[in-house]
Amino acid sequence: MRPVPVSLAELTARHRDGIVGYLVRLLGDRQEAEDACQDAFLRAHRAFARLAPEANSRAWLYRIATRSGLNAARRRARRTARAADVDLDSLPAAAGLSPERREELLAIRRAVDRLPPRQRAALMLRQFEGFGYAEIAVALGGSEQGARANVYQAIKKLRATLGGARRRDAKR
Amino acid sequence: MTIRDDELIGKLLGDRPRSPGRWLGTPEGRTELAGYRRTLAGLDRLYGGHLPGAAIYWCAVPAPIGRVFVAASDAGLLRVSFRHREESFVDELRGHTEADVVRSPARTADIVEQLRDYFAGERRRFDVRLDLRRVSPFQRRVLLAATRVPAGEVVSYGEIARRIGEPGGSRAVGQALGHNPIPIVIPCHRVVAAGGRIGGYTGGLAIKRKLLRLEGSLAAIAG
Repeated sequence: MRPVPVSLAELTARHRDGIVGYLVRLLGDRQEAEDACQDAFLRAHRAFARLAPEANSRAWLYRIATRSGLNAARRRARRTARAADVDLDSLPAAAGLSPERREELLAIRRAVDRLPPRQRAALMLRQFEGFGYAEIAVALGGSEQGARANVYQAIKKLRATLGGARRRDAKR
Repeated sequence: MTIRDDELIGKLLGDRPRSPGRWLGTPEGRTELAGYRRTLAGLDRLYGGHLPGAAIYWCAVPAPIGRVFVAASDAGLLRVSFRHREESFVDELRGHTEADVVRSPARTADIVEQLRDYFAGERRRFDVRLDLRRVSPFQRRVLLAATRVPAGEVVSYGEIARRIGEPGGSRAVGQALGHNPIPIVIPCHRVVAAGGRIGGYTGGLAIKRKLLRLEGSLAAIAG
């Protein structure tokens, strides 16, 4: 086993790729994600001295990254109206699928874009970063229960776009 | 009635150990579960793969078994290969992804160093993130079970099958290990046939024997 990372340089080197990936999922744009990551590492640099040695350093770093990501999302919301509609051809993930399934993916993609940023962050942390609810709570701030509620709400909203959902989903 | 949605989501995310209410067995329950499955599969397809602008980084490491190639994405190590020429390795990577395939010693430095230490006999376990997104759920379980076999030990295919809760699945386990995309780091060479026979190895039995000798467990093997 490697020793616990001691320097911020080692910590950021180890998590940089993961955090950029997370921010791309959160923001849906690579350039914005790189910028937010840069911003996060600057903040981490300033806050590193206050990090307790026994703290979960990964969750700490993701907390800072989440804050930078949410700030970026907020700035964008002020700058532009609703994001332009997604183009089917810009979805490489949809290549080779039936038209019906492509439509479904498109609907899910739009629904992800409409999620409140905190729910989107919680969902991506749970689904793609392998975070448990306690770690998500650290990253987002708030309680474990709140973290879980954010993940579940996000999934319900995405599920509701698929059709075939019961009526109460449509009302929500 | 949102409690049922929570039940379904919890089941799919593995939040609760299986608690299938009777409702889940009804046609409505099954339809709803399928809907959630499709949703999560869609999410995976949209956001789980290689992200826009992402790249796959590769590099070669000289080793006693010949050159070893490694490739990693932003998410982690996704391929280790020997018995390859450089061009065919890069072609293989290109064939599986829309991401850019880039040679990068810097981005692969960590795993390259760990492999060097391993072949020098100075490292017994690897500590890297793995990118197993292209692997089926069953194969993932098999591969992760194999990572828990420490250097210096061997187990049988049947034992791995038992550990993943599929007793009698040793053939399927053998298949899954035979297609291990990350050999050496996921130590499928530590899985052998029943009765202490060496079993098979996609990279060739000579290499399997070399790796086991390096780890000091070849003596446990009959043939």
